[in-house]
Amino acid sequence: MMWSRIAVVGPVAALSVSALCACGGDRMPPKSLVDARDEFSRAKSGLAMQLDPTDVHEADLALQKAEQAWSSDPDDPNTIDLAVIAQRKAQIAENEAAAMKAGQDGDAAKAQLQSLMANQLQNARGQLDQTKQALNKTQDQLQAEQKAAEEQRKKLADLEQRLKDARDTIAKIAAVKDDDRGMVITLQGEVLFQTGKYDLKPGAMAKLDQIAEALRGKEQPITVYGFTDNVGTRDNNMVLSQNRAEAVRLYLVQRGIPQDLITAQGKGPDQPVSENTSTEGRAANRRVEIVVQPKKG
Amino acid sequence: MVKRIVMSTVLSVFVMACGSSIPPPNDQWAAAQNDVGKAQQGGAPSVPDAKLHLQLAEEDLQKSKELMDKDNRRAASLAAVASIEAQLALSMAKAQQAQAQAQQAQQDLAKAKGN
Repeated sequence: MMWSRIAVVGPVAALSVSALCACGGDRMPPKSLVDARDEFSRAKSGLAMQLDPTDVHEADLALQKAEQAWSSDPDDPNTIDLAVIAQRKAQIAENEAAAMKAGQDGDAAKAQLQSLMANQLQNARGQLDQTKQALNKTQDQLQAEQKAAEEQRKKLADLEQRLKDARDTIAKIAAVKDDDRGMVITLQGEVLFQTGKYDLKPGAMAKLDQIAEALRGKEQPITVYGFTDNVGTRDNNMVLSQNRAEAVRLYLVQRGIPQDLITAQGKGPDQPVSENTSTEGRAANRRVEIVVQPKKG
Repeated sequence: MVKRIVMSTVLSVFVMACGSSIPPPNDQWAAAQNDVGKAQQGGAPSVPDAKLHLQLAEEDLQKSKELMDKDNRRAASLAAVASIEAQLALSMAKAQQAQAQAQQAQQDLAKAKGN
């Protein structure tokens, strides 16, 4: 409203003033106008022109107004104000452009950060999945191993129990001991055979039946050893002890001990368990030992 | 006679232009005060350069008020300057804030890349 009024009145006033003062164009421009020109040319050639051309255009209009005011009325204090306004407008254009640029830079950095973090998150998730899978696998394996170990333990306990039962059964009819060969069942020669013979007595068969029953199904290697005293020649005793061991072996095979698990060996007068100088000592040395070895593996 | 009338008309137009019959620039003054308020709210007091221009705006606003009804033409010009100084102060504060935010974002990014 008021500017339009001045705009109408302005040229008349300018004419009057220039007519009165006769001052103008050949004077040095004031510092504020020079500053405004410099600032505007900076804004026009810089970032402001690219990012904020509207504000630069406004600064241009303001500068034109200031130039006009100066050429028409250089002594009016309002002329200086118009130059200041033009300079400030150019500065504002530059500041707005700088703010826009910073905003763009900030947004770009944020977007990059976001994508970087998204990638890192994805990687971390992938690693977590892998770890979870590995953990599940390990847990499955552990469970399977525990189950297998438990089964093995049960089997062993069962086997031990059965062995103990067998041993208890056998202990009722024969001497049972353990040495480094395994469980040793000792049967006296008189119980099994008549003097000098190697066919089994009926009473011997009854005992061997019970022993075979107790050992059946254990799947443990068995060796039958035959021993004599030192009466007679060594050769004869070796043959006799071998025959006796073989007779026991055959009988046990007939009673269900697998033949590939059982062997027989005659030891003759070697490895006596007692002195051969007394009747009792010799009787103790005449014997058959059934050695049940620990199960292999 | 005619010459005298023409002269007095020219003179009266000249006197009008000089300001005595220009109404007080109340709207412009209010607009400038509004711009100063925006600059104060927009963070200009905490940015040194912006603070300086805010002070200039406040001074011009004060001078404009003092000249109201004495020299309305000058009062209007000063109100316009106060406005533009306040706008400049606000634009400085805004640019500074945007640059600080951009710098922070770039630092965050560099830090994340370093990890």
